[in-house]
Amino acid sequence: MINKILLICCCCLLGYLNGFAQTTTTVTGTVVSAADKQPLPGVVVSVKGTQGGAATKADGSFSVSITGSKAILQARFIGYQTKEVEVTADEKNVTISLVEDVTQLNDVVVVGYSSKKQSELTSAVTVVSADKLKDVTANSVGTMLQGKVAGLQVVNSSGAPGSVAEIRLRGVSSVNANQSPLFVVDGIIGGNYDPNDVESITVLKDAGTTALYGSQANAGVIIVTTKSAKQGETKFEAKVSTGFRTADFGKMNLMNSSELYDYQKGFYRDYIVGATDNTYKIDLVKFYAERPLSLRDQNYNWSKESFKSAPVYNFYLSASGKTEKNDYYVGASYYKEKGTFVNTNFERVNLRGNSTYHFSKKLDVTNNINLSASQGKSYDYMDMYYSFLNMPWDNPYDASGNPVYIDKPKIDAGYTWWSRDPINPLNTVQNSDHTYKGFDVNYDLGINYRITDWLTFASTNRVSASFNKSSNYVSPIAAGTYHGTGYIDELNTLNYGVISNQLFKFDFKFGDHTLNGFAGGAFESSRIEYSGGSGKGLPEGLKVLNVVSNNQTVNGYNNKYILQSLLSQVNYGYKGKYFVTGSYRYDGSSNFSPSNKYGGFPSISASWLASNEEFLANNSIISNLRLRGSYGVTGTQDIGASRYQGLYSLTTQYNSLVGAVPYQLESPNLTWESKRQINAGIDIGLFKRVNLTVDLYRNDTKDLLLRVSQPLSVGFETKWENAGTVINKGIEVGINSTNIKTRDFEWMTDFTINFNNNKLSGFPSDIIKTGSWSISQIYRNGGNLFEFYMPKWLGVDAQTGAPVWEKLIYNNEGKAVASEKTSDYAQATNQEVGSALPKYQGGFNNSFRYKNFNLRVSTYFNYGNKVFSNNLRFMMNDGHEPDYNQIRMPDGAKVWSGPGDTQATEPSPQNSANSTETSTRYLKDGSYFTIRNIAFSYTLPTAWANKISMKGISVGVTADNVATFSNFLGQDPQTTITPGSFATPGVSDFKYPNNRQYLLTVNFNF
Amino acid sequence: MKKKIFTFITLMVVAASSCKNLDVSPSDAISTNTLVTTTSGLTNALNGAYALLKDHIEFNGTVDANNMYLRQFYHLSDFASDDIVCGQVTTDPLFYSFSLGHSPAQANTRYYWYISYKIITGVNTVIAAVEKSGKTDAATNQLLGECYFLRAFCHFNLVRLFGKPYSVDPNSAGVVLRTNLTDPAKKARSTVSEVYASVIADAEKAAGLMTEPRGVQYASQAAAWALLARVNIYKENNAKAIEYATKVINTGKYTLTTADTYPALFANATTGSETIFCVAFTQIDDYGKFGSIASMIYSDGNSGWGEEYASSSLRSAMSAHPEDVRWSYIVPSKDANGAIVKRNGIEVYYISKFSFQGGLPNLSSPIMFRLAEMYLIRAEAEAKTGNNTAALDDVDMIRKNRGLEGFLYKKVVPANTTALDVVLLEKRIEMAFEGHRTYDVFRNKKTLNKAYWGYHLAGLKETDVDLSKTPTGYPNLTVPYTSPRTIYYIPIDEVLSNPAVTQNP
Repeated sequence: MINKILLICCCCLLGYLNGFAQTTTTVTGTVVSAADKQPLPGVVVSVKGTQGGAATKADGSFSVSITGSKAILQARFIGYQTKEVEVTADEKNVTISLVEDVTQLNDVVVVGYSSKKQSELTSAVTVVSADKLKDVTANSVGTMLQGKVAGLQVVNSSGAPGSVAEIRLRGVSSVNANQSPLFVVDGIIGGNYDPNDVESITVLKDAGTTALYGSQANAGVIIVTTKSAKQGETKFEAKVSTGFRTADFGKMNLMNSSELYDYQKGFYRDYIVGATDNTYKIDLVKFYAERPLSLRDQNYNWSKESFKSAPVYNFYLSASGKTEKNDYYVGASYYKEKGTFVNTNFERVNLRGNSTYHFSKKLDVTNNINLSASQGKSYDYMDMYYSFLNMPWDNPYDASGNPVYIDKPKIDAGYTWWSRDPINPLNTVQNSDHTYKGFDVNYDLGINYRITDWLTFASTNRVSASFNKSSNYVSPIAAGTYHGTGYIDELNTLNYGVISNQLFKFDFKFGDHTLNGFAGGAFESSRIEYSGGSGKGLPEGLKVLNVVSNNQTVNGYNNKYILQSLLSQVNYGYKGKYFVTGSYRYDGSSNFSPSNKYGGFPSISASWLASNEEFLANNSIISNLRLRGSYGVTGTQDIGASRYQGLYSLTTQYNSLVGAVPYQLESPNLTWESKRQINAGIDIGLFKRVNLTVDLYRNDTKDLLLRVSQPLSVGFETKWENAGTVINKGIEVGINSTNIKTRDFEWMTDFTINFNNNKLSGFPSDIIKTGSWSISQIYRNGGNLFEFYMPKWLGVDAQTGAPVWEKLIYNNEGKAVASEKTSDYAQATNQEVGSALPKYQGGFNNSFRYKNFNLRVSTYFNYGNKVFSNNLRFMMNDGHEPDYNQIRMPDGAKVWSGPGDTQATEPSPQNSANSTETSTRYLKDGSYFTIRNIAFSYTLPTAWANKISMKGISVGVTADNVATFSNFLGQDPQTTITPGSFATPGVSDFKYPNNRQYLLTVNFNF
Repeated sequence: MKKKIFTFITLMVVAASSCKNLDVSPSDAISTNTLVTTTSGLTNALNGAYALLKDHIEFNGTVDANNMYLRQFYHLSDFASDDIVCGQVTTDPLFYSFSLGHSPAQANTRYYWYISYKIITGVNTVIAAVEKSGKTDAATNQLLGECYFLRAFCHFNLVRLFGKPYSVDPNSAGVVLRTNLTDPAKKARSTVSEVYASVIADAEKAAGLMTEPRGVQYASQAAAWALLARVNIYKENNAKAIEYATKVINTGKYTLTTADTYPALFANATTGSETIFCVAFTQIDDYGKFGSIASMIYSDGNSGWGEEYASSSLRSAMSAHPEDVRWSYIVPSKDANGAIVKRNGIEVYYISKFSFQGGLPNLSSPIMFRLAEMYLIRAEAEAKTGNNTAALDDVDMIRKNRGLEGFLYKKVVPANTTALDVVLLEKRIEMAFEGHRTYDVFRNKKTLNKAYWGYHLAGLKETDVDLSKTPTGYPNLTVPYTSPRTIYYIPIDEVLSNPAVTQNP
């Protein structure tokens, strides 16, 4: 199917392009490297403003056709600065020498409301170009960024179709407020885009730049710039990726039939606690009576039946070009993935048109529009739960191969169903759907009017609207609670908003001094409206709300958000060596009480470009040296509306009359969380080959917006308060190096690492948050964020086989002076046992080129965090749930077998009271090293490409999530680090497994 | 052109910088300050307090269908009794009531504790607002009285589950008393007797205020008296127990259901002749398999989990009288040959007291107080004060309405037993599965006998089950009233966030 589409695409395009081919005279010459005068092969030499072009051969020679008497040739090669040369008709032996572009000092970097040259930067900024992103094919840029930016932690906590990665910059500095960096697309906060349309991504890391985003920038800012025209000629690009995914279960190896059979023998040990006639022998007579030997031959792998390899497709086609009046870019993308879990998928189509019209030398108008539509099928957590826990002795299918209908426990005659619950997830999945659809429009209007040569008015505005609909449907023929009735619910979400920025930008130069900046205002407003309904009593085959006959419910509510701001920035530069930037933003947010609505966010930053000083001029070792420093304040108000009010929710009813339920405790003084950030950095370029960036930072987040745990006896779980301070200190190192560079062979290395340490202070008293499954974390002065607080597991009592926890003995001052063992869980002492946040993490990426072959290997590592593997509660349950399948025991694990068994690590199933309760038994080291991605590609010789009127064709294969190395016991240590609904950060539950992905990608440029 | 552009720029700048109204109110919630200033707001808040008895409220960031005040009240009370047996082991914390493997971290007590105090906080807010308003009209007083009633009701259920029986140790730690909005959040537990005093004061105040009954779905003067009768019998204030039980009986509003009407009482609680107060569940509150009270103890095959059954202990206590209509709530599951189905060796006798409202297997409006209990409270108090004949008369009043007209005591205590034991046996059968049994055993300083087959016996295997014998040699075969496991641990959240609270031993 895919091949056909590809073929059709190619044919259409080829036919179209051939019409443009034209020839007159031929120009020949050679391209050489400016440094060593060696010929450069593979350089694309094209005629500016036309379709023509060719790549240089092995000896650096080229031959291009031009029309007319004169033309400008462009020579482009990765790692070199593009050069333009004027040639005349029939000119021969033209020599073009290219200068290596290692430092890229003159590249312009988008830093929020303005752009700056690399050389003028005063703060910590990392730019990732599309080239470095595109080796990973994914639905979200977060996944693509993993391991590529120092200080950026990326967690792919779910492999569900369409899921996006969690991103944290420089540790976690907010708890209950938003922790995800602010995304800014094409200069405007928020926005929708397709990863294929991304030209570059800029990560703003310190307050020198982020303070301009004030109250929205506590977690850093990620600036996405979409593609625009780079040259006059119309350039087409097409990409086709196709491949498949498989579920990566990590170390969650479940028992097969005979393993489980042998394991369960341990349940039949003759041992009754307190009895005097225990033999401690396994009573095989009883065992065989309850578990016939034939069970060993019934081996069904539920997770294998539930997770299948699934195809992925990604198509992308774009055109861009420039005319005198107009710059344009048009991109279209289609992405489709099937989920590895049955009946899940995601697809998205995205259209983008970017256009800038130059009305006059003074006036540019930019119109950018992005349309996207997506749909997919999600899953029910319980279906996944049972696909892991159902017993291998049960056959999911009936005689005709259909998922068997099960609705009664094993007691009833006619059934032999060993699993705990009479549920066949495959049958449920077959008879239910969890669909979602979305449609999203962004329209950006930009007006740039140069009032005088030093003053410009810049207006950027976005209107956005999206509509999302999700539905859960269970057929009346599905087993379980809706059998015979069916169930449907729908939720519609309408989200619309406007953002408008009006800035006056100024730019002066006098002598050695430059002074530029801007001042202006910004306004954001958004509204979300929800409505939905549900009901039961569906006729078979129909799936709309109209046909429900009972238990109808409706719901609907809306949220509104307004942010109003004034902002300004001044940049001063002297002699191209000394730079100072100051900025100030003043925000008013609808989220706080009238007396606390406004907050101010200043910043100051400076840099010294030492390599521009005379004493370093033409230095053979140091090609670039810059020192940077910044200080600034950012804030957070992103906690949702009305958190300061005491509220009663009116969403319930009693006896068909409306009921109001206490919902939120009043916190009238609730105010901004503010983060004071200090950053010092150095950028060093050595031998024009190695770039090293080191940053030191200290970020003090004060007045943390925290949902402070309340004694439950006040009737509320938490209260919003500004409590405590978290200090993040860290060092960040980024190295990119060209290790070897010859004509045919190139080896480049990128390395990033970020050590981050956080400390809590300023809490009036300890705050202990206890979440689902009674997993607690403590906020204590001097402690760490997301510090687990639970009893320590000390293994098994060798005499009784009972679980053992640590009990601390405290003296009168409350100091622990001794410890003893206890088998009474209620006596065990809760204590700090490690944090869910890593001590360091980073990436190590290498790329190699040999002639036209490229190989890139990206890896990512994460060290020093704890992950609570909650599914072990079910899968190492010591017989508490004998009818769940179990995880294959790790090496060295042994179930207690009798008094004196000192080797035992797991308690006796006969004496395991509370053994699965929360303790360090299931708290595992979350460190891991992963080979994130291997990409291998081959660029076809340009001559071949030219024969079919292409400028370049490359073919590549990639493998994602190739291997993960970890001591974690469970699915995979990547788990959510976002506190809030459902999850305690660092708690791993049954989740949609991450994917291994294998793709074939073909790129066409023409 | 230039002029137009400048006009445009000016407009944009003015539009962007003009002051916007930054005040935003939530769309589906009302601020507490607004709510308490209107009568309808206060009524809504009171309705909300009732709703919390049946709703699944978000806890730990998730709405867990297992979490419901009443579902957990019945589990924590009756699953610990000798009336209900479990057919399998499970990691669901409801199992701890059987195994006595209690933990401060068990999810059901955590939610139950939380939601009890949410109800209390809700009514405290209304009480504070009404008393501040100074209104004393009958409608307002009714509303205020219902608030006092709910506060007493919730505190009493809490102290029953988390504090020792009053008769065993009135000076031991009870629960945290929340009778106003101004006490510090971190507050110590009051003693059992202090909690009882507060409950009685609230209930008496409630009884005095409520003069405009709104139906059995709401608290009323009679409900407050019924609560007072119950609290006083627990407190062993027999005179008061008799006084309040008699008050309820003498209202004349309630009549005992008969042998004919009793089997339909629990499916039709709101119209039942003996219902004093029930929690109204409407069809929208049919929570199905995952969240209903019935689904653990009843299943028609699809409707529920059906993992807990009427125990052999209760069935043998009733075995003398197959004609007793109270058997109608014990439903044996039979296979095609008519044999009783066994689950893991345990006979499946489903319990249907929480089913069949509107014919739905998981829907009922659970009865909190009904007339039969008043007769039995009075009978117990009479037996304890030596008035055996009155006690047996009250017991006979029940029996003649349950198909046992031919088996009345007629003022004669049978041989080898006492009037009190006769009353308690009758109450066990009459009030089975309604959350009374464990309290009645332990507050009367008796020992719970759980020597019957079931998975409360640690280490039991299906092949061990021999229904012809009584199990021996297992731990937990009996639970004396002195056992620390007759009550539950204070939930971990309270202990960790409120250092003033002490944990139960």
